[in-house]
Amino acid sequence: MSTATQSEKGTGKTHVEMLHEAQLRKARDFRRNVSLSWGILFLILVYMFSGQSFLGLNTIQLDFDFIRKNLSFIAGGLGQTLLVSFLSITLATILALLAALGRLSKFPPFYALSTFYVSLIRGTPLYLQIFFFFLALPQVGIVLTGLIAGVIALGLNYGAYMSEIFRAGLESVGRGQREAAVALGMTPMQTMQRVILPQALRFAIPPIGNDFIAMTKDSALVSATGFVHEVMWRAIRVGRSQFKGLEALVMAALFYWVMTIILTYFQGIIEARLAKGDR
Amino acid sequence: MAPIVKVSNLDKYFSLLHVLKDVSIEIQPREVVCLIGRSGSGKSTLLRCINFLEDPSRGTIEVDGIQVQVKNGTTREHRPQIHEIRLKTGMVFQEFNLFPHMTVLENVIEGPVTVKGMNRQEAVALGEENLDSVGMLFKKDEYPNRLSGGQKQRVAIARALTMQPRVMLFDEPTSALDPELIGEVLNVMKKVAKDGMTMLVVTHEMGFAREVADRVLVMADGEIVEAAKPETLFSKPKDPRTKALIDRYRTGGG
Ligand SMILES: Nc1ncnc2c1ncn2[C@@H]1O[C@H](COP(=O)(O)OP(=O)(O)OP(=O)(O)O)[C@@H](O)[C@H]1O
Ligand SMILES: [Mg+2]
Repeated sequence: MSTATQSEKGTGKTHVEMLHEAQLRKARDFRRNVSLSWGILFLILVYMFSGQSFLGLNTIQLDFDFIRKNLSFIAGGLGQTLLVSFLSITLATILALLAALGRLSKFPPFYALSTFYVSLIRGTPLYLQIFFFFLALPQVGIVLTGLIAGVIALGLNYGAYMSEIFRAGLESVGRGQREAAVALGMTPMQTMQRVILPQALRFAIPPIGNDFIAMTKDSALVSATGFVHEVMWRAIRVGRSQFKGLEALVMAALFYWVMTIILTYFQGIIEARLAKGDR
Repeated sequence: MAPIVKVSNLDKYFSLLHVLKDVSIEIQPREVVCLIGRSGSGKSTLLRCINFLEDPSRGTIEVDGIQVQVKNGTTREHRPQIHEIRLKTGMVFQEFNLFPHMTVLENVIEGPVTVKGMNRQEAVALGEENLDSVGMLFKKDEYPNRLSGGQKQRVAIARALTMQPRVMLFDEPTSALDPELIGEVLNVMKKVAKDGMTMLVVTHEMGFAREVADRVLVMADGEIVEAAKPETLFSKPKDPRTKALIDRYRTGGG
């Protein structure tokens, strides 16, 4: 601080520079205090599960022996969780793009198919859709493996919601872009591929990232069918069989939480990179 | 000499609004024609009908021997001819409309590579040559958002030129620019004109029209009301609407 004062006098920083520095300092302090508060909240949470007694309040006692023994079993579901999420988001992205193109299409059957799909999916619960593929389809002779049924259900569901993202992305590309492409002699297909889609995709990538993160958690719903052995399914299974539901769910919660924190971190990096080439 | 652009009896309606009324124009090869007129008179629509960014309601468009005759507003059956006309016409927009996800050079070679199937090397050579001639080669690897308005428009001109069109259409190419950037774009356009390009330019830049145009067309209420050499038109306007328009420019109005 004393050196700063010196340089203020010595080199004579302008008023604007000093204001700017004060602003930076304020932002830094704010971030530091938020981190500190996060740490405290986290410690409180940990303490609540410590089994200690404090001022007559009993905190929750966890069976760490159970946790240690079953850690790798539940963690073993992470791969399935990520696999289901990844396959589902891929399917959802393709469906969403097609639905968005349909929604903007002037060809009635295509437009109708798109709005019909979105309406049907958004009008029914995800939970129902998942069971539909496990319980209803086998009745008419279609038996899917757990993974495939889960991916189809999640993909169809997210695709319907995500179509709005793509619609917004496609509409965010100005009319002048299409006109410039057409004036160069591009066909409608080339215009879409070379000019409209790349810009719409860039617009859509951050929200797709959000949905992928949401998907890693919604993928827990497929555990209810009992056929996909992801994190949630494993937690419920060991929790029930050994009457340690509390421990099992706390572990599963931690896995999901850490996973989303990591994914959010990567999403931030991707977004920052996209923003750099931004107009 | 046969005209390179010939518009005959062109009508255009936007739903019930009659925007172009039986318009006929001819442009000779290497001729520079400026199109002036008040806002809403139909200048842009006329320009955009020539390369079918707008479908004419009725009339005939002919560019460099390719003819499309529209009878009732549908152009579907003329798709191949329209494509050829678009290859023969370059267009420069008021808002530049560069592709923001491509660098300057990529913008310029996109047409030749994607539309004409030109090989990349050849397109790059041609593109760089054109960027050089508009003075923008030094920014070839920059993205458009890093350029000034005047620079963007010069790149847009290079992009159109790299398609090697027979005719260039300009729709108020300097109207979106800060006053101090207009000159650099007009200079590039003068150079293009000098190189022998046929040009149809919608503009409010009377100085440019006076200096560069071989002929000035005046549009009012969807009709060409006067056509003359610039010196004649500006000194002895015949139509009262031309007179009013020129007076407006004299007094500094838009
Ligand atoms: N897509 C459209 N739909 C409906 N009306 C339109 C459309 N485009 C233009 N018009 C109308 O057609 C008329 C002529 O428009 P045009 O853009 O050709 O005029 P302009 O002479 O280029 O004017 P400006 O100098 O303002 O650019 C105007 O009344 C305008 O409102
Ligand atoms: Mg206009």
